Amino acid sequence: MFQRLQTKLTVLYAGLFALALSLVAVTVYVAIASNAQRAVREEMAASGTVFDRIWALRNQRLQDGAELLSRDFGFRAAVATHDRPTVESAVANLRQRLGLDLAFTVGVDGDVVGLDPARLDLEKLWSALDAEDGAQGVFAIDGKPYQLISAPILSPTLTGWIVFAAKLDEPEMRGLEKLSAIGLDAQVFDQRGDQWVSADSGPANKPLAAFVAKAMQDKLRAPAVLHGGADSLVLVKPIRTLDKTSGAALVLRYPLAQAMAPYRPLMAAVIVAGLIGAALVAAASWALSRGLTKPITALDIAASRLRDGEDVSVEVTTQDEIGRLAQSFNQMASEIREREAEMIRQALHDGETGLPNRRALERAIETRLNTIAPGEQVVIAAIGFDRFPQVRAAIGYELATELVAKLGQRIIEIAPGVLVSRLTTSILCVVSASTSLDRVLGLVEDALPGLEAPIEVGGELVDVHITQGLAATTRGELDAVRLIERALIALDQSRASHRKFMAFDAAAYGDTSANLSLMSEMLEAVRKGQLYLNHQPKLDLRTGAITGVEALARWNHPTRGFIRPDLFVGMAEETGHIRALTDYVLTQAIEDQARLRAAGHDVLMSVNVSGRLIDDYAFAEHAIAAVTAAGARLCFEITETAVIGNPDVALSVLDRLAEAGIPVSIDDYGSGLSSLAYLKQIRADELKIDKAFVMSLEAGGKDALLVKSTVDLAHSLGMKVTAEGVETREGLAVLQLMGCDLAQGYHIARPMGLDKLVDFLGEWSIELPSEDSPPLLGEVARRAGGGSAA
Amino acid sequence: MAGDFTVTVRSADGKPVPDAVVMVYPNGQPTKGPIKFPWPYRVAQQNIQFTPFMLVVPVGADVAFPNLDKVRHHVYSFSAGNKFEIKLYGHEENRTAKMNTAGVAAIGCNIHDQMVGFIRVVDTQYAGKTDANGVVTIQDVPTGAIKASVWHPYMRAMKNEKTLSTTSVGAGAAREQVAVELRAPAGR
Repeated sequence: MFQRLQTKLTVLYAGLFALALSLVAVTVYVAIASNAQRAVREEMAASGTVFDRIWALRNQRLQDGAELLSRDFGFRAAVATHDRPTVESAVANLRQRLGLDLAFTVGVDGDVVGLDPARLDLEKLWSALDAEDGAQGVFAIDGKPYQLISAPILSPTLTGWIVFAAKLDEPEMRGLEKLSAIGLDAQVFDQRGDQWVSADSGPANKPLAAFVAKAMQDKLRAPAVLHGGADSLVLVKPIRTLDKTSGAALVLRYPLAQAMAPYRPLMAAVIVAGLIGAALVAAASWALSRGLTKPITALDIAASRLRDGEDVSVEVTTQDEIGRLAQSFNQMASEIREREAEMIRQALHDGETGLPNRRALERAIETRLNTIAPGEQVVIAAIGFDRFPQVRAAIGYELATELVAKLGQRIIEIAPGVLVSRLTTSILCVVSASTSLDRVLGLVEDALPGLEAPIEVGGELVDVHITQGLAATTRGELDAVRLIERALIALDQSRASHRKFMAFDAAAYGDTSANLSLMSEMLEAVRKGQLYLNHQPKLDLRTGAITGVEALARWNHPTRGFIRPDLFVGMAEETGHIRALTDYVLTQAIEDQARLRAAGHDVLMSVNVSGRLIDDYAFAEHAIAAVTAAGARLCFEITETAVIGNPDVALSVLDRLAEAGIPVSIDDYGSGLSSLAYLKQIRADELKIDKAFVMSLEAGGKDALLVKSTVDLAHSLGMKVTAEGVETREGLAVLQLMGCDLAQGYHIARPMGLDKLVDFLGEWSIELPSEDSPPLLGEVARRAGGGSAA
Repeated sequence: MAGDFTVTVRSADGKPVPDAVVMVYPNGQPTKGPIKFPWPYRVAQQNIQFTPFMLVVPVGADVAFPNLDKVRHHVYSFSAGNKFEIKLYGHEENRTAKMNTAGVAAIGCNIHDQMVGFIRVVDTQYAGKTDANGVVTIQDVPTGAIKASVWHPYMRAMKNEKTLSTTSVGAGAAREQVAVELRAPAGR
């Protein structure tokens, strides 16, 4: 009902007070009213008694007068002798002397002297006078009640009666009223048949007449209350009538309102005092409840502000329950804030290193994005530890984590103002303070030596090798998540290209959103012939002849143009479409080899078989069947790691291939965890040394030693050795010296289309250095460069 | 030929009514010639009372009003035809008043209201008043038809008089008993 405590309290208190006051007022009123009524009753009874006395006195006076006259000898003589004029004059004389309204005589014979007999009911009067000696009472003359007094005239026998009459009209009654202490209204009622009629002039008061009739009938002699109109207290006193058949009554009336009149100022005072009191109570309750509810209201407001996350506290002004509540509230609010801060800190920080986490990074990026000007960039760098699992295995989890933390600190020291967060276990991400990718690239380059300085953890210096991927975005281009994703991709790209750092290469990455549809397009491309094979020649270092080629799948997309093989091959592997791709490559390689044969060139054609297919019997059977049917000479190149995944199945498949006479080559040897054990188990015909070793051959040192050993190892296991990534004349020479069987690389020839290969093979000649003379392969380099200019 | 006519007058409750006057008119005619009653025509005032209370006299009789009291009296009658007044007089015996008309003379004393007396003035020889037993005998009433009535000043009847039912008197005694209703004397 009431939304506010204050209103509630005020209404309650004021209402209670008003109720109590009303009870008091009602009680006072009732007491006063009953008291007043009692007083009026008493006064009325007293007035009634006074009236009786006055009535009696007056009657006595009249009686005396009447009797005096009735005994007067002369008067009697006049009456007895029917001396009318004398009688009339005598009666008139006495009437005047006594101040009577009427005076007359009635003879025994019914003769009336002194009054017109037509004014009254003579027969009734005569009967009444005759019935009783000295009859008296109310009798109607001219229809008005008169008090009649009679006395017999004896001369000496009864000759008639002398009758005196006094009006009972208003003036008479006013005189009576004046005798009363209170303002009584007196009037005489007389009975006319069933009706009681007032002697007063004016309109008839019907309720009063009815009341009088009832009171007379019930012989009610005490004052009673007459309701209706203005309530009044009425006393009905019967008056004797001359003839006993009718009735008359003196009616004393006192309006109750008038009885209450003297108390009206008292009642008014009570009511006014009550109203003032109620107003005071209401005001006081209002003020009190205000004092009471003000702190509660403050708490209410503070609580809702706290709910909205605002920093609030309530002023503590009292020491009572509310004050303690406010104190508790403040304490609670402060604890909530602390917990919240801790939760935020935990939510935004990495528990191990104390560095901000990815969420914090995202927030920071979003914040930066909202503050930079148009044209400016937010630049971030994903900094990945190289070979972190190995490092962690070496120094332990705890120290590895410390290492990450210390690198973070170092970054902040080198470039104050940047935000360093831990993105993954081994990757930190830095939001640069600079707003230009180019500038950041420069800064990164400058900072590299400092960053890679060994870090001391656990009392030991640990080498730090890191790779960085950078990404940048302008406002509205990328959101934080996409930007971080790009930085991570850039890191991958950087690692893939063996660079220390690079910015995100959008061209290389392609449109990732289109990658999924790429696969269905690839299957379409297989059917439509958009795929084709490029072949990279392999040089036999002993004969100088091109004895083999490696078939490489290429895709010229109608709208997206040339799509990098590692992209669509990798995706084909991931999405389960590698079988379809490999089937195409097999078919195409067999076809291309047939065309080469037709052109007079018999070369071994190497085909890359994905590690995902090496344990697929169905594929193996299909491939063997295809190769056998075409009488093709194919070599399946697989990576060593592919075998490690599921060695039992893979090795049996490889055995199956070997039985079918299909040679197997171990690809990219040395890039993975080259296992001598597997090398022994795999029945391979060829070992291809990873280009990472070959490219740095000419620098001498360890790589050269490794290559030499690998060549020797392969030879001793009965395998030929192919060196990949031969890009220089010196490298080729070294490989030849080392006894490497075959070489492949840009120095010899880039991968090329079938038509060009036919031309290349037709034109191919090389003069290989003899075993005792230094390698002279400048020719080769020249020709190869010209031939591979595709 | 004549006979006695005895009338007994009683009130409604059977009590004897004294001082009732019975008047008999043979053949309905008043008596011609002088009338003489055997009782004195005298109303004395004794002990502030009229004595007798009732007196029957013939028309024209002089009634004496001797004052036997020591106080003075003022005897009067306002009765029509027999109006007289004997103003204040003391102890003496020679005051008289003449009754001129047949009828009633109600006598009173102006000084003493309680004093009331009646004189019945008759025009027949055959009249009398009842004794204490309410009995009166009219003697020597001529036989034949009569007209008789009884009168009393307080009788509740027209002219305080009632006609008797006896209409004739034979030889021997005639009797009649009559009941009358009396009212209380006014003003007493």
